[in-house]
Amino acid sequence: MQKSRLLFIVVSTVLAVILFASTAPAKREKEIRLGFMGDLSAPFSLSAEAAAKLAVEEINEAGGILGRPVRLFVEDTGGEIPKGIEVYKKLVMHNRVNAVIVAEKVEMGVAGIQIGAELFREFPHVMFSTIGSGDAIWHHVRDDYDRFKFGFQTYYFVSSHYLEILGGKLLPDFYGNVVGAKKIAILYEDMDWTRPIRRGLPGVSPPLKEVYENAGFEVVYEATLSLDQQVFSSIFERIAQSETDIIDCVVGYIDQVSFIKQWVDSPARNIPWFFWGGIAGMPMAWDMTGGAIAGGSIGSSFVRVPITEKTIPFMDNMIGKYKVGPIFGSHTTYDTIFGYRKALEQAGDLKDINRIIKELENVRETAVLGTIGWDPKYHYNIPYPEYITPIVQWQDGQMVPVYPEDIALGSFKPVTELRK
Amino acid sequence: MITLIQNILVYTLIWGSIYLLISIGFSLICGVLRIFHLGYGITFVIAAYAMWFFLTDMNMGLVTSIILMILLQIFIAIVVFYKGVFQQFLDEEENLLVVSILLFLFASNFINWMYPITAGVSIPTRFFPGSVMIGAVTISKQMIAAAVTGIIVTFLLVLMFLKTRTGLIIRAMSQDLNAARLMGANVDNMYYLAMILSVIPPAICVIMIAPFWSIDPHMGMPLLITALLIAILGGLGNLKGNIIAAYLIALIHFSTNFLLAPRFMTFAALVATLIFLIAKRGGIMAGETIW
Repeated sequence: MQKSRLLFIVVSTVLAVILFASTAPAKREKEIRLGFMGDLSAPFSLSAEAAAKLAVEEINEAGGILGRPVRLFVEDTGGEIPKGIEVYKKLVMHNRVNAVIVAEKVEMGVAGIQIGAELFREFPHVMFSTIGSGDAIWHHVRDDYDRFKFGFQTYYFVSSHYLEILGGKLLPDFYGNVVGAKKIAILYEDMDWTRPIRRGLPGVSPPLKEVYENAGFEVVYEATLSLDQQVFSSIFERIAQSETDIIDCVVGYIDQVSFIKQWVDSPARNIPWFFWGGIAGMPMAWDMTGGAIAGGSIGSSFVRVPITEKTIPFMDNMIGKYKVGPIFGSHTTYDTIFGYRKALEQAGDLKDINRIIKELENVRETAVLGTIGWDPKYHYNIPYPEYITPIVQWQDGQMVPVYPEDIALGSFKPVTELRK
Repeated sequence: MITLIQNILVYTLIWGSIYLLISIGFSLICGVLRIFHLGYGITFVIAAYAMWFFLTDMNMGLVTSIILMILLQIFIAIVVFYKGVFQQFLDEEENLLVVSILLFLFASNFINWMYPITAGVSIPTRFFPGSVMIGAVTISKQMIAAAVTGIIVTFLLVLMFLKTRTGLIIRAMSQDLNAARLMGANVDNMYYLAMILSVIPPAICVIMIAPFWSIDPHMGMPLLITALLIAILGGLGNLKGNIIAAYLIALIHFSTNFLLAPRFMTFAALVATLIFLIAKRGGIMAGETIW
C-alpha cells in the first residue's frame, strides 16, 4: 500500500515537472526578461535595483512592452568580478534574459561586456552598464563594433565627457561666473575613472589641469588622494598656502565625511569645494557631518528639480514605494529601461537583435534627467545638455540647485555667509 | 622650508598622539594576554554606534550615553571576547584568530543593517570648535584635544604599570606567566583588568575623533590596521615600542604627505615597516615584556 502511494507521488511529481517544463518556454516567449546584477550590499546598487523594479512595475501597469509583461531577475554579485561573471552567464544562459543591466563599478561592466560577447551569438541579448563612469565600456564598442555592439553605457558623464563637457565647459562657467574664482586647486581620487582626467586622452582632450588653464584659470595645486585616506587636514594646509579660490574635487568614492569634517576647522575652511559626486550629494550628509558641509557644492541628482515631468514622480515613488533614496545609478538605470522599452517598441520584433540594437542607437525618450538615448557609433548615452546633473550647494541643511541657471532654484553663496 | 618642517613636525606630534589612542589597547592585549586580537576593530564601531543608540534611540544625555557605552564595551570585552573566545580557544591560535575576526565582521555587518549609511549617524562630541595657529600651522582645537587626550591616557597607563602593585604584577606576568602564577599573582583577575583597560583608549578615541573622522559601520577595519601596523613596528605587546612606533608612523605619513604625495602616505608607512622588520626582526622593542 505504501509502495503504491510512493509510486503515485513519484509519477505525479515527474509528470508535473514535465508539464511545467513544456509550458515554460511558452511563458518565456511571452514575457520580456530583464536581468539586473549589482553589489546588493552597496547603497548605489540597492538604489539602482529599486529603480529597476519601479521601471518594470510602471511598464507592466501600462500594459508591458509590445503587449508582453516584463519580468525582472535580480542577482547579487557581492562586488566580486568572478561572481559577477557567473551571475551574468546565469542570467543570459539560464534565465534567458533579453537584456542585462550591470549596475555597479565600471570594472564589472567590462567583465560583463566581455563575457556577453562570448555568449552573444548563441544567446542574443543587449547589455547596459548603468553606474560605471570609466570609458572602458564604450571603448570596447569603438574598438570592435561587431563584437561588442550589444553593449551600451548610461552614466551622468563618462570620463571623456567629464573632460570635454563638465571640465571643459560647465565647471569653468560655474567657477568663473558663479563662484568668481580665478585660481583652482584640483584633487583627484586614485581610481581608474580619474586616470584620463589626470593624464588626458590623446586626440580627445588634454588633462583637466590644461583644460582649466586653457579656460583662463590658474591651477595652483594638484594632488591625488588614495581611497583609504582619512587624514586630509595636512592637504588643506597646502591648499590654503596655494591661495586658491576653489577646491575642485574629482572624486566620488573618497571618505568625504572625514574630508568635510576636517575642512571646516582647517586653514582652507573659507575656500569652497566642489565634489563631482558621492555621499556629500545625499540628504543625510548634513547630519553625518553635523552641518560642517554648509557651503560645499556637489553634482547631485538628489534634488527636487523638475528637469522633466518624470523627475519628481520618480523621486517620490522611489522613496514612497521602495524606501530608497534615488542616489547615483538609480536615474541611469530607470532611464535606461524606458529607453530600452521605446527601442523595442520601435523595433516591433523581439527576435531581430540587430534591429533592436539599431533602434537603441537612434532612440530618444523623455527621462528623469532630460532625454535618454545612445550615441549610434560608441553607445554611451547622449550627454549634457540632453542629460543633466544639477550642481547643488548645501545651504541651511538643504541642497539648493545653483547651476545650470535654467534649473537653479537659488544662488551660490560664499561659505562664510552660510556658516554664520 | 621652515614652514614645511613645522608642518611635518606639528602634524607628526598631533597625529602620532592620536595613533597612540588608536593602538595602545591592542598592544596592551598583545603584551598581557599574548593574543593577537583581530576583533579589536569592533571596539571603535561599538563606541560610535552604542553612543548613537543611547543618544538617539534611548533619548539619553551625552554623558550617560558615554558611560553606558563604556559599560557595554567592558561587557563585550569580558563576556564575548575573553570568556567566549579567548578562554575557549587559548590553545588553538588559528581558531582564536578566525573567531575573533568573524565576530568583528558579524558585528560590523549587523550594525550596518541596523544603521545603514542613510541613517546619518553623527556623534556630537565637538567640544572644542575652531582652530589655532602653532607656528605657521593651523590646527583644529578638537584635533589638539584628541592628541592631548592620547598623551594623557598613555601616560596614565604607563604610570599604572610602573608605579602600582597591579602594574608590577602585569609586568611580571608579561615576563614569565608561570613564575608570576607561582608567586601568587591572580592571573585571571589581571586578565579581566587588561581586557577592561584595553577598551578604554579606543572608546575615548572615538569620542575625541568623531568630530573630524567619518563614522560608519566599517570604520573599525582601517583603525584595526593602523593599530596592527603600529603594534608590529613597535614590537608586539611592548608599550614603549608602541609609543615610538606611533610617532614614527606619523612622521612617515606626514613627511610623505608634505614632501612626496598624499596618496602614498599609507603605502610609505607599510614599506618603511617592512624594511624595518627585515632589518630588525620583532620591531623596535622586540621582546617579551610589556614595558
